[in-house]
Amino acid sequence: MTSSAIEATGLGKAFRRRGGWALRDCTFQLPAGRVSALVGPNGAGKSTLLALAAGLIAPSEGSVTVLGGHPAHVRPRIGFVSQDKPLYAQLTVAETLHMGADLNPDSWDADTAERVAAGGGLDLETRVRSLSGGQRTRVALALALAKRPELLLLDEPVADLDPLARHELMGTLMATAARYGTTIVMSSHVIAELEDSCDHLLLIGDGRVRLAGDIDDLLAVHSLITGPAREAATGADFDLAPHTTVESRITGRQVTALVRPAGPLPVGWQTNDLSLEALVLAHLRNPAAPPLTLGQASASASDSASASASDSTSASPTSQEATSASAMPQEEPA
Amino acid sequence: MTAVAPTAPPATRHPSPAPRLTRWVLRLHRPALCVWVGLVVVLSAALLWLGGPLTDASAAAWEQYNACAGASKCAYDQPAIIRYKEVYSATTFAVLALPFLVAAWAGATLTSRELETGTAQLTWAQSVSPVRWLTTKLALPATLVVAGAGLVVALHHLAWSAGKGRIDTAKSWSDVSTFYSGGPLTVALALLGLVVGVLVGLLWRRSLPALGISVVATTGVFAIVHTALPYLWPSVTQVRNRVQGAPSGAGIAVDEGILTSTGARLPNPYCGGDVFPDCRATYDKLDAVGYYRDFHPLAHYWPLQLMATALTCAIVAVLIFAAYRVLKSRTGGTPRGASTTE
Repeated sequence: MTSSAIEATGLGKAFRRRGGWALRDCTFQLPAGRVSALVGPNGAGKSTLLALAAGLIAPSEGSVTVLGGHPAHVRPRIGFVSQDKPLYAQLTVAETLHMGADLNPDSWDADTAERVAAGGGLDLETRVRSLSGGQRTRVALALALAKRPELLLLDEPVADLDPLARHELMGTLMATAARYGTTIVMSSHVIAELEDSCDHLLLIGDGRVRLAGDIDDLLAVHSLITGPAREAATGADFDLAPHTTVESRITGRQVTALVRPAGPLPVGWQTNDLSLEALVLAHLRNPAAPPLTLGQASASASDSASASASDSTSASPTSQEATSASAMPQEEPA
Repeated sequence: MTAVAPTAPPATRHPSPAPRLTRWVLRLHRPALCVWVGLVVVLSAALLWLGGPLTDASAAAWEQYNACAGASKCAYDQPAIIRYKEVYSATTFAVLALPFLVAAWAGATLTSRELETGTAQLTWAQSVSPVRWLTTKLALPATLVVAGAGLVVALHHLAWSAGKGRIDTAKSWSDVSTFYSGGPLTVALALLGLVVGVLVGLLWRRSLPALGISVVATTGVFAIVHTALPYLWPSVTQVRNRVQGAPSGAGIAVDEGILTSTGARLPNPYCGGDVFPDCRATYDKLDAVGYYRDFHPLAHYWPLQLMATALTCAIVAVLIFAAYRVLKSRTGGTPRGASTTE
């Protein structure tokens, strides 16, 4: 990882019609050459963020740099598929692809276009208006991929597809991306779907960055722990300080907590497996949890972090400590 | 899964040829293009028919009628006269409707629908900048509108001229609908309708409201131009004394009234003239010595047409500027400075 595909500084967008900020004070970097997941609940500002990066709307405040330049300057190098997959209903699929060739005169790859569009046994002479949701997605992706972009921005690319079509299209997407080294930023609110294909996470909620960083690093600096709800000696509620608690839930005499350990965990606490979904959900359920951005500097340490995270089932306090130290979390005040 | 180690080099990027958007704008608006071409062809044919055979037949009928010199029985080709009048009215109405038709179409489809359905963003997500998109969306239809409306207006002017002095009921040059439909002003108004539609579409981004608002806004600007028209060129003043009576109503009137002995202008009480004793008393009380009338004679036809066309074009220019500003504020435009595209 050498550079950022997208770099946002204090980025914000307000819509007068919707009466408020869709996105506010977002500062983050998304790495080049990777597959980044943009996650958040409905209305979190994911689509706004992607449209800003694609140069389709102007920011109200702050700035966004894409592939080292202003989004408007790098338009030919960006591919974008918006959530509702707009296409011209009156054109046939073949005409749509022909239009793609005409509108992207310097980088069109007709083979990729036809391969992706026709992949599902789709007749290219079919009019767009009579396509199913999945077929539309296929044509929209074909347009974006055949442009052979360096950066591909996908807004809920497979949300309206059945599981089989979803799996198949994600396969096509990832294969094409891997072949050309395309950077992908993909939004979704189905986290499980992203876990297999993405290696970087940007979680936004209420228009702000809540969590950002390499997925392995993020998992490594968090622990899902279970322990007694009250201290044996004093009977007082268990205090998890100095560890940062994202979420804690008491069930009977036990408390289960998602924490960012600041050192060795108390004796007697058990560490459980942490999935990306659990991590994301805990942050979404607890807006008061401090945001966390794992900086680009952590990238060099990501391998060791992953390694220690993978054997953290033994929950050795030293490996936890090493992990959090190596990943250098930069916590921000809530 | 990390997408690294590209196995194929990215597509070579040269200083790129411009995206070919024009043919796709034509393709996407093919039905409208067919309707426009059909309309221009049908209207042109009707105007040629009007200026040729219909005018000749009507003129011949009028000759027959005038030859009767008021005899109680007169045989003349009345249907020819009526047919000329009907076709003249219908074609004149059709020419006058063109700006509103263009406004409705442009408002409903050109920008609003693309923004509503997201296909504008689809185009911008290709290698087409929003500015180029808008330029094509303005320039291409503008060319077709000016060409089509220009042809129709020229043929209307010819058809009207053919009947001048030959058909007793032929419309005067100063008849409002004849004045508009036979000059470049209507071409400028059609262009105005297009630009209003594009701007309204950018602002409202919804097809149906944009259609309505475009037609209403075009009507508003039309009314402004129509109101300003008589003042766009210095008028001529006609003065008559009370014995001569009020001046005749030829040309385009600007102002009329009565003159007092001091030369002051007063509104005409329209009481009927000196032949009526009451009216004579009213005039005496007002110290009226005669009548005045500011108007435009036939010689002002082209100055008025060209000045009003220029005014409309100035409004069009302002609206085009506004359209680019709206688009730029929404999309951020393309900032100046070195492009980082390789």
